[in-house]
Amino acid sequence: MPSPEVQDLSKVEAGLDALDTPTTTQTEPRRRRVLRAALPPVIALVVVVAIWQALWAAAFWPEFQLPAPLAVWSKFEDLVGTGKIWEVLWTSIHRAALGFLAAVVIATPLGLLVAKVRHVRAAIGPLLSGLQSLPSVAWVPAAILWFGLNDGSIYFVVLAGSIPSIANGLVAGIDQIPPILPRVGKTLGAGKLAAARFILLPAALPGYIAGLKQGWAFSWRSLMAAELIAQSPDLGFGLGAYLNEGSNYNDMAEVLTAIFLILIVGIGIDLLLFRPIERAVLRARGLTGALT
Amino acid sequence: MTATLSTSEHVQSGIAVELSAVGKVFGRGQQAVAALDGVDLTVAPGEFVCLLGASGCGKSTLLNLVAGLDAPTAGEIVLNTSRPAVMFQEAALMPWLTAARNIDLPLRLAGFGKADRQTKVAELLDLVRLSGAGTKRPHELSGGMRQRVALARSLAATQRVQGADEPAMLLMDEPFAALDAITRDVLQGELLRVYERTNTAVLFVTHDVREAVRLGQRVVLLSSRPGRVVQEWSTKDETNESLTEEITARLREVISTHAKS
Repeated sequence: MPSPEVQDLSKVEAGLDALDTPTTTQTEPRRRRVLRAALPPVIALVVVVAIWQALWAAAFWPEFQLPAPLAVWSKFEDLVGTGKIWEVLWTSIHRAALGFLAAVVIATPLGLLVAKVRHVRAAIGPLLSGLQSLPSVAWVPAAILWFGLNDGSIYFVVLAGSIPSIANGLVAGIDQIPPILPRVGKTLGAGKLAAARFILLPAALPGYIAGLKQGWAFSWRSLMAAELIAQSPDLGFGLGAYLNEGSNYNDMAEVLTAIFLILIVGIGIDLLLFRPIERAVLRARGLTGALT
Repeated sequence: MTATLSTSEHVQSGIAVELSAVGKVFGRGQQAVAALDGVDLTVAPGEFVCLLGASGCGKSTLLNLVAGLDAPTAGEIVLNTSRPAVMFQEAALMPWLTAARNIDLPLRLAGFGKADRQTKVAELLDLVRLSGAGTKRPHELSGGMRQRVALARSLAATQRVQGADEPAMLLMDEPFAALDAITRDVLQGELLRVYERTNTAVLFVTHDVREAVRLGQRVVLLSSRPGRVVQEWSTKDETNESLTEEITARLREVISTHAKS
């Protein structure tokens, strides 16, 4: 039944569209945004260093327990000056990256299986969650006995640390998909494989990325634990070994330098790699609540 | 060959969907709940039928059965259409895809070529008057616009690479119930306009008598728990106002029988 009002419907509709469309806030200029994001942590860092300097100046603790900030800085300069830093960083980072990539390749199908096959979930779901709370250092002795003092042991520990996180992230991501989306997919004609490719995986992406982020953090800290405990000339000289060297020489400045470097690499990869990906994915879905 | 033959047969029979003695029981034994009981209903190709009923009348269950999302426990459903497309109360657009890509998804799943898909998406966007919003994401659209994208997507889902002569079928489950009154009014007009420009049959579920009378060529009233067909009206013979009053009175009567006194 066409009614006369249908004629100007298009105008009414255009008006409604204009009125109802959610307004998007004007984004700040990039320079100001970076500044606003960077300023608070920089101030916090300055305060911490100032307190540290004050404590050192008050000489509460002996020098071998609390060196001056400048002593740590000159240690760092030595490391850069001799070029040793590149060897140390490369040894550790390429191991962590390779271990992490292998973990992604193993954990992704594992997570899909746990999420979508009921019996698999019942059988190993709780184990997977439990493994997340097992400190990966606990695997080091076993790994050394199984694989000997070589890269195999290190990679085993890294995998044991990061696979549960990545798989669990994917499972959580799939569990949180609104049930209407797979139903819609079915009515649009998606079979099992097409549904996984076009609906399940993209819908689970935010959870999966959260899992990847945590998986990276776990693989990095597992690697440090492994490098710190497993000592051998075959293993190369990574950050963990550098930390251990500082400990052996009672060189607190070196120990602190190592700790700072471990922190910087961990935070840096998160900030430079995972944050931008996460940001882009969440922004595309209008999930901007956590992003400012 | 057989497909062509059967299609021409159905065109003669003039039936898009036929439900005979369809029943649906949820659960088993003591806890069994009969949602639908002995429902007979036919929809002709290109016909607009509104299913009306109070809550618990199994309207949505019936739609799910026709959509193939669920199987009936009794009776038979014969579809002479391509796979029916469904529109829900929420737009349920894929939040990671733009409006255009959402409409593109069923075409992609159906195996259309890229160039073909592009023209079809542009046509459908134009049909729901959203040509300028193709690159927007669902969260950047208003509720009414989202439902129009969902409508375009359902229409896309009725298209087939081959067998274009199969009549299309659109199932709508209270698609405008969550919208504000002004938008709902406009979208009802839009749906009628789109319906007149396509040859699709529509089975439209609602609890709003006025909406059912305005949209449908036929209004079918269902009783509640279990859902049965109580009565049906054609909207051709009477004025909308008197028919709305008549149907409302009958609906109230049906609901009153459920009062516990």
